[in-house]
Amino acid sequence: MKRITAYFVSLLLVLGNLQFAAFGQANKELLIKNATVLTAIHGTLENTDILVRNGKIAKIGKNLSAGSGAEIIDATGKFVTPGIVDCHSHTMIDAINEGSLSVTSMTGTRDVLNPTDIAIYRALAGGVTSANILHGSANSIGGKNTVVKFKYGHPVEDFPIPDAPPGIKFAMGENPKGTNFSRPGVPPRYPRTRMGVIETMRDAFLRARDYKRAWDDYKAGKTKVPPRRDLELEPLVEVIEGKRLVHAHGYRSDEHLNLMLLADEFGFKIATLQHGLEAYKIAPEIAKRGTGVSIFTDSWGYKLEAYDAIPYNAYLLWKAGVVVSINSDSDERMRRLNLDAAKVEKYGGVPEEEALKMITLNPAKQLGIDKRTGSIEVGKDADLLIWSAHPFSVYSRVERTIIEGETFFDRAKDIQKRADLAKEREALEKLDVNKPPAAGGTQPRIPSEHRLEERDDAEYGDGGNQ
Amino acid sequence: MKFRHVLFAIAAIGLLYIVSISAQTYAITNARVVTVSGGTIENGTVVVRNGLIESVGANLKAPADAEVIDGTGMTVYPGFIDALTSLGLQTASSTGQQRGGGTSGPQATSETNSNYPDGLRPEEAASEELKSGESQFETNRNAGFTTVVTVGRNGVFNGESAVIDLAGDSVSAMIVKSPFAEHISFATIRGQYPVSLLGTFSALRQMMLDAQRLQEIQKLYAANPRGIKRPESDKSLEALIPVINRQIPVVFNANSEREIVRALDLAKEFNLKAIIAGGQESWKVADRLKAQDVPVLLSLNFPKRTTAASADADPEPLEVLRLRAETPKGPARLAQAGVKFAFESDSVKSIGDFFTNAGKAVENGLTRDAAVRAMTLGSAEILGVSAQTGSIEPGKIANLVVVKGDLFGKDRAVKQVFVDGKLFEIKEQPKPAETTPSNGGRAVPNVAGNYSITIDIPGQPLAGTLAFTQQGNLLNGTIQSSLGTAPIRDGKVTVEGFTFAATVEYGGSTVDIIVKGTVSGNQISGTIDSPQGAIPFSGTKNP
Repeated sequence: MKRITAYFVSLLLVLGNLQFAAFGQANKELLIKNATVLTAIHGTLENTDILVRNGKIAKIGKNLSAGSGAEIIDATGKFVTPGIVDCHSHTMIDAINEGSLSVTSMTGTRDVLNPTDIAIYRALAGGVTSANILHGSANSIGGKNTVVKFKYGHPVEDFPIPDAPPGIKFAMGENPKGTNFSRPGVPPRYPRTRMGVIETMRDAFLRARDYKRAWDDYKAGKTKVPPRRDLELEPLVEVIEGKRLVHAHGYRSDEHLNLMLLADEFGFKIATLQHGLEAYKIAPEIAKRGTGVSIFTDSWGYKLEAYDAIPYNAYLLWKAGVVVSINSDSDERMRRLNLDAAKVEKYGGVPEEEALKMITLNPAKQLGIDKRTGSIEVGKDADLLIWSAHPFSVYSRVERTIIEGETFFDRAKDIQKRADLAKEREALEKLDVNKPPAAGGTQPRIPSEHRLEERDDAEYGDGGNQ
Repeated sequence: MKFRHVLFAIAAIGLLYIVSISAQTYAITNARVVTVSGGTIENGTVVVRNGLIESVGANLKAPADAEVIDGTGMTVYPGFIDALTSLGLQTASSTGQQRGGGTSGPQATSETNSNYPDGLRPEEAASEELKSGESQFETNRNAGFTTVVTVGRNGVFNGESAVIDLAGDSVSAMIVKSPFAEHISFATIRGQYPVSLLGTFSALRQMMLDAQRLQEIQKLYAANPRGIKRPESDKSLEALIPVINRQIPVVFNANSEREIVRALDLAKEFNLKAIIAGGQESWKVADRLKAQDVPVLLSLNFPKRTTAASADADPEPLEVLRLRAETPKGPARLAQAGVKFAFESDSVKSIGDFFTNAGKAVENGLTRDAAVRAMTLGSAEILGVSAQTGSIEPGKIANLVVVKGDLFGKDRAVKQVFVDGKLFEIKEQPKPAETTPSNGGRAVPNVAGNYSITIDIPGQPLAGTLAFTQQGNLLNGTIQSSLGTAPIRDGKVTVEGFTFAATVEYGGSTVDIIVKGTVSGNQISGTIDSPQGAIPFSGTKNP
């Protein structure tokens, strides 16, 4: 049986299907037995079973049974948590920044998703099931985001969460003013100062308000000719109308405060302050407006803008009643967000469940997807992780990553499959088309890791974050 | 093979081997006739008169006034169609979209009645940039091509393509259909929006919407201009109106699965009549292509490894190894799924690869008939010229190829080519390695290959590699050094040498360079011009 399965898997690989097609089981029942369940909402449940049916959590309790044909996982000694939600990611996109203009709200990451990005699979191995795929921070107002589930192996249209509210990226400070670096292929542009950044935003909203008025007049029959549909201003009208969430990159609290005041002026709410490494300074102002903050747990002082960052940021914000999430902004850090959550237990003593919420339920709330994911509750999507040990332990490994009842990462199967992949590679390398030319040829790029020139996550560019 | 010998061979081919005869009536007799539309006639005759096929059949007598060509042992095919080239265009960069450096401001657009920058100009028409003269098509015609799609390759909008026959001393005589389609690349513009793929999509979308609106307002205004501001006569938007009305198709250059899916999504969003070009991974989305009734202009450029062996490099990704193994199987899979496709030569190294790789597709499960169809009638159907050409039927254009030996085999030899009834006699089929695309009758050197070069930056010489591929006088490839790899653009080869532009990263910022050089034997040399000054380079060709 094992051999047949292996054969089937490698056959699918050869056919170019994606790696987990063979595991597709969304409609099957799944019963996880006897686990320690960290619900991220109703505390920790010992020796508990979870029954998954049609991709949803059907039952949580003891001694549950499933129908015939159900997959039963014995999770004795293991931990189950909700899938991790990363509120700030640039994974799986073929372009991050449209750096040419200061306002690029006409762009959107949905157009450039790459569902085959290997970083997705690696993130699944680290327990991430949902992510906020954001435009970069090169512009005062950047592009529209896409909130996805990492259904690796599925076609791209399966990734975006259909009922997630739309959003958009804003950015403040060093990156949009861009005085410390040059953007590939782009001449320097306004704004060059922090005051210019906020002015760009205000100008865009004034234009959006006029645009909305023009359409209102047309709809009311006051004008004969329909206004030009403007893809730059349409999303900003949605922001003013409260239909589109603003995720605003920034480090300094004076800037974030300025932005919240601008939002007050136009009558909308900022959904999240992204990074906000010194947000603790304005915690009451943030809490009052119901704005969320999505932070790094460390990266203290890693650049001048982040100089006033402190380890206790998450704690102070949480204490003030702010919904806090911890994001990665990096393909690499994304794989260990559980450890970033553990750090806030250490610094300030955020309680365990509150810390866990910062990578599950809280980012789900910030993205407006908490009705379906972020905690283990009956009726929610079965986005579940099975851990070998407590997720806040450095010794813990994700053994299974389940999205809507379907397994997208299975550590045991991954290990088992490696021999088949090695065999496949060996066979492929023998083909003429894969042999190096007998002489000459282009020198290979070393290291071979593909990297987008505009990418500037932790290992690249300004050494910082988008 | 020494470079001078190549030159000599080209000159010899030009002078000695090709004799153009302009008699009016021909009869090819005793030949195997692959009509494509009506089966194969084992011992048939084809009569050509006044540029058209007069008759075809098994028991035909050659007319008394016909010049008889004995086709014993030969096979007559409809003239082959190459569904994507840039043949006959001055340079692929004639749209000039990438001129200007990283520090220049947005380009002025006021000199024309378009409000859009170079690169977003759908109105650029291949038919207006075609050069006259049939000698420029020699290489392709000698290989058996009578008809091609030609279009520039720069910008997001490559412009409107034309279907042309490869004979005729005037542009108007060459054109079979113009425009055939609007061509779109998911490309960017340097120095101004859109500089990223994100912007490419939003710019395309905005222009489609603007064109929709222009049409709407034009209608309102035509009905009653009073009280309506006169709509602008923007020729870029006007060129898109037939596109959004499905009067002309849109060819999306898309090779990877995700590019193809993006093209299909965009086509759905704006109800465009889409065609995929390149289509390397199109078999992966065959079901969607079939469902949306989208044909593919399938490139016969099958990938193979070109990087040298190196102990320091990571092993190649499995997906790359798989892609190379799977690509030749693609045509059979498309055929099985019922997706329409036509072969194209775009970016093949040598035109001979077209047939060699079509043969590989046959080895990998495509029927011979389907392979022939994909370069004749099947292609003509997609290009919308099947009433005129693509098969051997009375009344169609006399585009014919007389081939000795197996079309997909090594013994393939094209003997005669008829284009619009004009006979091109090919006395000796030049070997593919010796063919060099010609340029207006004057031979351009073939500089394709990889060169190790040293860039003489004072005090810190820099090692690099130039990888060139060449089609006609167009140069493509990359420039690579320890600073990174950059694709070359606006590349062109003339009798004087080669030139291309590129954008490289240097000292933390991007620098636009223009490279000029010459190849002599296995030596390469030239200069790299940048805003910082000109730097010489030299090197040798890797064997």
